[in-house]
Amino acid sequence: MEAVIALHNVRKSYQDFHVLDIARLELPAGIYWLQGENGAGKTTCMKVMAGLIPFKGEIILQGNVSSHRQPVAFRRLINYAEAEPLYPSFLTGRDLLELYLGTKGGNRQQVMELGERLGVTGYMQNPVSTYSSGMLKKLSLLLAFTGNPLLILLDEPLITIDKQALAVLYDLIRAYSANGVSFCITSHQPLDQRELPVSGTLRVAAKNIALV
Amino acid sequence: MGNVTAILQKIFVRRFYIQNTLFFLVLFYLLFGVVDGGSLISYHRSLMLGFMGNLYFLLLVLALWALYGMKCAGFVLKTFQTQGFEFLYPTLGSVEKPARRRLWLLIHTGIYMPVLVYAGIAVAVGITRGFWLAGLLVAVFNLLACFLPLALYERKLHRPDVTFFTGYLQRWLNRRFVKLPGLYFFYELFTNYPRRILSVKLACAGILWLTFYLLRQTGGFDARGLMLGGMLCVIAHGQLMMQHRAFDDTYLGFLRGLPQPLWRHYLRLAGIYLLLFLPEIVMMAANKTPLSSLTGCFVLAAAMLLLFRSLLYFPKMNAEVHMRYVLLVSFVTLFMVLAGYEWLAASVMVPASAGLFFFLFPRYETYVEPRS
Repeated sequence: MEAVIALHNVRKSYQDFHVLDIARLELPAGIYWLQGENGAGKTTCMKVMAGLIPFKGEIILQGNVSSHRQPVAFRRLINYAEAEPLYPSFLTGRDLLELYLGTKGGNRQQVMELGERLGVTGYMQNPVSTYSSGMLKKLSLLLAFTGNPLLILLDEPLITIDKQALAVLYDLIRAYSANGVSFCITSHQPLDQRELPVSGTLRVAAKNIALV
Repeated sequence: MGNVTAILQKIFVRRFYIQNTLFFLVLFYLLFGVVDGGSLISYHRSLMLGFMGNLYFLLLVLALWALYGMKCAGFVLKTFQTQGFEFLYPTLGSVEKPARRRLWLLIHTGIYMPVLVYAGIAVAVGITRGFWLAGLLVAVFNLLACFLPLALYERKLHRPDVTFFTGYLQRWLNRRFVKLPGLYFFYELFTNYPRRILSVKLACAGILWLTFYLLRQTGGFDARGLMLGGMLCVIAHGQLMMQHRAFDDTYLGFLRGLPQPLWRHYLRLAGIYLLLFLPEIVMMAANKTPLSSLTGCFVLAAAMLLLFRSLLYFPKMNAEVHMRYVLLVSFVTLFMVLAGYEWLAASVMVPASAGLFFFLFPRYETYVEPRS
């Protein structure tokens, strides 16, 4: 089976401190639970995979889209939702959504329906400075589902959102996964296997990631 | 309620006077420091009679008081929005409406007091001279200035998401327009750091005023003199560049995740700095600068701004090191300008900035000082 994402000799350091050193990791399509202790490098790993921070080595999506050689195509295929999203205070949810739709593409109608289901449409016209942490989290999740991604990286998606939104999120992940979208999810809370059939668990430890 | 009033006075009134100490010092100097002590009373009496007896002068004074009133109302509303002051919503929201209105009035009159005192004396002085109508106008104006903002405060309490009195307009605009990424930094400056951009633009206005004054004094226009003024304006924009980098680092990480080519990021950067320098160019044009000199000056300034901003993509470049490079480049550019090679200087700086940007931007990451 062709790997959705392949990491080759990926190394990441903060000054002299080495955070990641992954010789090779190839993941076929599926839903993956990325585990690791605090400070193990889960978020760094996700940011590297999303192409948000510089790193050494190469990441290939779908066997042919390179993070370094085709950065635009790469970013179109990978979406990332931060654990604690932060946006400029004056922007509204709509500003951000329009920006994502304009750059990542995707079906506007579908995204609007998604927003409705997550319960974010009511406050989309307001500046994000007026959002609670839960509202901000829902907005970042909606943005992560915008476009036509191949892989969605969700950093601690279960925190701060309410039960209703959580059920919608599980439902979305299942539906997108059935359509061939892969997920990599970090969570300190155990993922409910009945709600989310995890294909594999990734463990970040000793600067490496291993499929366990 | 006495304790509540005392605490609110501390939160609003005392903080207002402390935060505006410099403003009041300047005002105090202008009102009481420019004349000798012996003629102070007659000076102010004449001033009061002057505006009470002349409608246009009075309108000007009322406009200044209105500005001060807006400053007061803006301060109270901003306090509500300041992080750490969220407790004001549930606490003040629990007070009965009549009592809360009294509290609003105490807070507002507390910070509007300087105008009330001066206006009160002016009305008394005016009435002794028979300026009844002007006295009535001043009294009504100040009553409105005291009571109208109370409705804004009440509204703010129930609608925390509304900013100042532009809330409705803001929501109306938000529904119709989407903010362009190239303008994010301007929104940030005007909403969160208005003083910073205002001080830079005032400094630049001062530099250009002095430039044109000196050019006139030395008997004729010299493009090199104007370019020197333009270069000083560019250097004055240095602190905005640091602000820009901090803003990018803190909030705009998500833009990097968007599928956009590098040249679009560079164009956005160029757009920001061209727009930022537009007021200076308008000021130069308003002073009847010949088109060729204006173009040369704009191109040189844009090239310098882009190069200086691109230097900040070296992660370890802090404000001090950046200023050294800015001064070094400006020094070399100065001699090129004096020799009439400003276009050459610009044509070197633009590719240099683009080269730095295209090389550094994909590798850029916020530098965190290692703990010693």
